Amino acid sequence: MADKNMSFLVIDDFPTMRRIVRSLLKELGFTNVEEAEDGQDALNKMRAGNFEFVVSDWNMPNLDGLEMLKEMREDDALKDLPVLMVTAEAKKENIIAAAQAGANGYVVKPFTAATLEEKLNKIFDKLGK
Amino acid sequence: MSPNDQAESAEPSDEASDELIHRIGKLTRMLRENMRELGLDKEVEKAAEAIPDARDRLHYVGAMTEQAAERALNAVDRAQPVQDKLSERAQSLDTRWAQWFAEPQELEDARALVRDTRSYLGEVPDMTSDTGKELLEIMMAQDFQDLTGQVIKKMMDVIREIEQQLVQVLIDSMPEADARETMQRKAEDQWESENNRRNEELLNGPQVKDDEPETVSDQDQVDDLLDDLGF
Repeated sequence: MADKNMSFLVIDDFPTMRRIVRSLLKELGFTNVEEAEDGQDALNKMRAGNFEFVVSDWNMPNLDGLEMLKEMREDDALKDLPVLMVTAEAKKENIIAAAQAGANGYVVKPFTAATLEEKLNKIFDKLGK
Repeated sequence: MSPNDQAESAEPSDEASDELIHRIGKLTRMLRENMRELGLDKEVEKAAEAIPDARDRLHYVGAMTEQAAERALNAVDRAQPVQDKLSERAQSLDTRWAQWFAEPQELEDARALVRDTRSYLGEVPDMTSDTGKELLEIMMAQDFQDLTGQVIKKMMDVIREIEQQLVQVLIDSMPEADARETMQRKAEDQWESENNRRNEELLNGPQVKDDEPETVSDQDQVDDLLDDLGF
């Protein structure tokens, strides 16, 4: 069972989607959730805060999710932070690129509450959280 | 054909209409050749090619918004009867309790009232959990805003591209060289600020057609692909 106080950062340029993901996390018992609107905003928040889990979109202005992920994996402080990609990008090369860049999971939009829960739990299990 | 010719014969003779057709044909050919020489046919073609793509995207937006509205309305239709039942049964029990307090009845009647009240209380969490599920469904239906929003942004790029191609055609066909150069510079300055492009190979947004190659169509296919790759 994952710690319900775990701190999440939800990154998406669409406020509606951030609200949906936040509500789903709340439904699962996670209430410690902050939001960022693009990759750059997220990196700033990650470097300033102490997050334990990242749920990120891919296609965003300024810095997209993949570039953000690559920067995280280069950064000693962020390289082990789990990242679940939640994106509408459905090309095989996208999924492969995300996995190679070090994403811990990949959920394709539109997704269901059950899918999000399953992927989160799979990552928790792997990381022994 | 001069205006005089037309005035003389309201009905053009066969000879005159043959000549007209011949001239229009010659003009069209000239125009086409000029366009090809200037490379304009390619630009017009590129602009025209973007239109079916825009049509697919509009279709996707229409379908997604309709589907979202239906999902939300269906959830409301399912939740409403549960809410009604919850309220009706509470009201009926409340009335019975009010009567009992006003005029206490035999123990047996009171027992029945207590039993019914307990059974109602036991059912309330199930019913609220049902409506809770419908509220979640209504929330999930709003994901269309993100998906269609991404597609609309892409469409705005397509429209901007069409506009630029067509403006280029107009500039290229300007007769005066000086004016043409000035217009070209002006247009390029504007386009530079608009076309702030990134590497967009991996940024395609939602899949708007079912039969796109090299694309997964659901989460299971994502999971299979990652499993196959050993991730």
